Amino acid sequence: MSYELVAGLETHVELSTKAKIFCQCTTEFGGDPNTHCCPICMGMPGTLPKLNKKVVEYAVKAGLATNCKIRNVSKMDRKNYTYPDLPKAYQISQFDKPICYDGYIKLSSGKNIRINRIHIEEDAGKLIHEGGDTYIDYNRGGVPLIEIVTEPDFRSIDEVIEYLEKLRLIMKYIGVSDVKMQEGSLRCDVNISARKKGDEKFGTRTEIKNMNSLNFIAKAMEYEFNRHVDILESGGVIDQETRRYDSALNITESMRDKEDEDDYRYFRDPDLVNIIISEEEINKLKVELPQLPDKKLDIFMNEYGLPKDDADLLIKYKKIAEYFEEASKGIKNKKLVSNYILSQVYRRMPTDSDKEECSVSLPPKYLGELISLLENKKINSSMASQALEKMLDTGKPVSEFISKKDMEGIDEGLLREICLRAVDENKEAVESYLGGKEKAFGAIIGYIMKETRGKADPQKAAEIVKEIIKTS
Amino acid sequence: MITKEEVLRIAKIAKLYVKDDEADRLIEDMSTIIDYADAINAIVEDRDVEFDDINNIANAYNEDVVLPSYDRDEILKNREGGENGYFLVRKSLRG
Ligand SMILES: [Zn+2]
Repeated sequence: MSYELVAGLETHVELSTKAKIFCQCTTEFGGDPNTHCCPICMGMPGTLPKLNKKVVEYAVKAGLATNCKIRNVSKMDRKNYTYPDLPKAYQISQFDKPICYDGYIKLSSGKNIRINRIHIEEDAGKLIHEGGDTYIDYNRGGVPLIEIVTEPDFRSIDEVIEYLEKLRLIMKYIGVSDVKMQEGSLRCDVNISARKKGDEKFGTRTEIKNMNSLNFIAKAMEYEFNRHVDILESGGVIDQETRRYDSALNITESMRDKEDEDDYRYFRDPDLVNIIISEEEINKLKVELPQLPDKKLDIFMNEYGLPKDDADLLIKYKKIAEYFEEASKGIKNKKLVSNYILSQVYRRMPTDSDKEECSVSLPPKYLGELISLLENKKINSSMASQALEKMLDTGKPVSEFISKKDMEGIDEGLLREICLRAVDENKEAVESYLGGKEKAFGAIIGYIMKETRGKADPQKAAEIVKEIIKTS
Repeated sequence: MITKEEVLRIAKIAKLYVKDDEADRLIEDMSTIIDYADAINAIVEDRDVEFDDINNIANAYNEDVVLPSYDRDEILKNREGGENGYFLVRKSLRG
């Protein structure tokens, strides 16, 4: 029997505001334990939380960038549960009036993953379990989060991974989060079930909590789906429960079953007033949104004629995409620019964070000038490559490395003269070539390149040499 | 009237241990509280409680500006145990 996977996602994204959500402690990652804390984020009695305005703006931007509707009036609620990571014994979140709702993210297949809601909430502290005891650091407590909840629209692990990659990229582009997964600024809960192919009704689902790596999410889902199928195939019943993924053992294990599931007793937080956002304010935020990755991909492929692989790589880092756009201004053959960026320029940014920052000292305009010379056949590609290396070393323009005279290229008359000399001086190579040794031809071209200090167009030179040999 | 099962469930969520005779007393106490809340609900029924304006104030915001946090010693003042600046929850206290 063949089974189909059904999944929905709840993704927590940490917002990159400077201050926490309800107080003005720093959100900076790390720091000595409990040094980014005050009576408000420690939930001391008698304190009054006040919402950080930027959190509202970022949440609305996240909603707009994922095709959500924005609620003009929303409010904050208390989600009650007792756990040491939460000093107040409740988390301030949004229950029935989330700030954004009814959105979607389009996958490359054209399928939409519907977003049910995006709401604002506060992060909890960090627990460190050691020898049966638990140590608590509340620095992360009160860092602003948005939770993005999808409908159960995923039918494969690949769809989940693509969605998460897209979501991450969108959040980065619009600048509301750095989405550093290793620092836990994107965390995922996956609801998963299995049903027989063709069935309408969803199977009983389980929820895998709190994963922060795409790799682990994929592995956990694969394990959990197979577990469901095995149980169903042997006539068993799936317990609706919350599970955790153990990455060391590559298994999921039960955390608590539905019986024990917390009753959160949501109610409005009376300390926090209504959040009213006018259409005018929403429009203002809409205008501030940058061009989104999907739009860029479309332009790169359909207007600039780049292959999908190139375009995908370029948009993966916003600053590299912008570098490309800047460098390719006025260049007809955009693929040429993309080629140099994805090879030589790319190599100068070995790490992910280098690429994130597009950390090359060469201004994109200078790369554009170089490509323009190449495009207009003033220089050949090996000259361009060599010059580019020096330009990347120094951050200086092409005029520093290729003289005006050299940039004028080499005219055909002169090239012909040099080719004649090459044939004359390399009689042995010509003989071998005529004797069938293709390789020998390289020696003749090598001579020409050396004589012209790399300026000659090797293809053109080859044509001329062949013609000379043929007619002599 | 709240039932005994409900009282015990609430106690469980609140991580409180309730003895049998205590539960009976709690049924009475909690029922009084709920009746009182119901009485208030009956009065405000026709208001839009969903978006009850708190004293007609909306949009009270902090700017996104960082201010110094508290001295850690102040924050940790009432802790019991713990070291290196952490709070400690002993095993027995976890639910
Ligand atoms: Zn604080």
